[in-house]
Amino acid sequence: MRITNLEKTIGKFHMEVNDFYIEPGKIHGIVGPNGCGKTVFLKMLAGIITPDKGILDYEGLSSRDITMMSQQPYLMHTSVYENLIYPLKIRGTRPDEDEIDEMLNRVGLREQKNQYARSLSSGERQKLSFLRAVIFKPKLIMVDETLSNLDSESEEMFVGIISEIQKERPITWLIVNHQMDHIYQLCDEIHYMEKGRFVKK
Amino acid sequence: MLEWLKSVVSDAGIISAVKVTFIMAVSSTAISSVLGILFGLLLERFSFPGKKIIVRINRTLMGVPPVVAGLVVYLLIMRRGPLGPLSLLFTIKGMVIAQVLIITPIISGMIYSYARKSAPSIRAFAVTMGATRWQTAKLIIRELRKEIYFCMVTGFGRSISEVGAVMLVGGNIKGRTRTMTTTISLLKSQGIFTEGVALGILLLVMAFILQWICDLLQKEGEEDENY
Repeated sequence: MRITNLEKTIGKFHMEVNDFYIEPGKIHGIVGPNGCGKTVFLKMLAGIITPDKGILDYEGLSSRDITMMSQQPYLMHTSVYENLIYPLKIRGTRPDEDEIDEMLNRVGLREQKNQYARSLSSGERQKLSFLRAVIFKPKLIMVDETLSNLDSESEEMFVGIISEIQKERPITWLIVNHQMDHIYQLCDEIHYMEKGRFVKK
Repeated sequence: MLEWLKSVVSDAGIISAVKVTFIMAVSSTAISSVLGILFGLLLERFSFPGKKIIVRINRTLMGVPPVVAGLVVYLLIMRRGPLGPLSLLFTIKGMVIAQVLIITPIISGMIYSYARKSAPSIRAFAVTMGATRWQTAKLIIRELRKEIYFCMVTGFGRSISEVGAVMLVGGNIKGRTRTMTTTISLLKSQGIFTEGVALGILLLVMAFILQWICDLLQKEGEEDENY
């Protein structure tokens, strides 16, 4: 997807992205200090924030093909299972129970399947949010710091799952973080952001 | 004690008062809930010039003295009033209108506050999931269900405990528009305290049951709950 002449001002913060191309099927990392606008950028691509100006060319992707994992994922007031299948439900897709059990098992949430989602620990919430984002097979997944603040074991697990997805059916990933870490070994491209702009490094 | 309570509650006038109270409270809560929930949610959803003033007026109306609301409705529906030909004065319908005027702002104001707190994050989540507008609206209502119940119970509580407006508009007519609270008020003025106290106890029991329902709703979905 291509972003041209994007501008957004929120209070004192100003963002300007003149020309930014996201190559499909690749894993893109965005790194930058806190408050540089990474989250705002993702939220604009996800359609949560409307830009003041600019063109977002999704190259044929619809809002149903795009998802974003927030830093603090929203969990519905219901069970882990119901949270997980929500994107399938609104698409009228019947969930594949075996696949769901396998996914939950893989991230260690099988036992918590019928538990109230909001009783999960923050690490478990991230895992659930991750599964919920990949379950409906979107074509663009944006990850806002979801994979930071995880223990190294979980981090490795996510790296493993992401690489598997990429092998099977390459999709586009935009992964944001404020520090370089394991996730970046995955990235095909890394972009640096500073004070609301992309910079070369 | 129980015998005495029994003899009081089996009195025809009292039974009728309990019935009138319930019909009135259920109808006014139902109408106010539909209006208040819809208005509160729409107020949160849309920005428009003058919204702040509307929110402020809503908050003011949340604390309107029931007698004032009763007086306004009385003036509207009295025989020479603009709605006089509908003959609503001294009927349960008239009482319900007055109560809707009192309860709707309470429900809409509460819903607005709750929605302002949580609807933006629910909406953002719905966008990331690719939900349609309609699915998003449904999700917001479902996620706020506990708060919605709570507002309805609050509205119901307001309704059964209200005296001033129903007295003015309903006229406290025995067997027709006399409610539990207006009965107590009348009994007191006649110096009949025992029956008044019994009715008071009955109202307290109802209040307790309501409180209990609220409590259950608050507890729903706490930490260790299994679904």
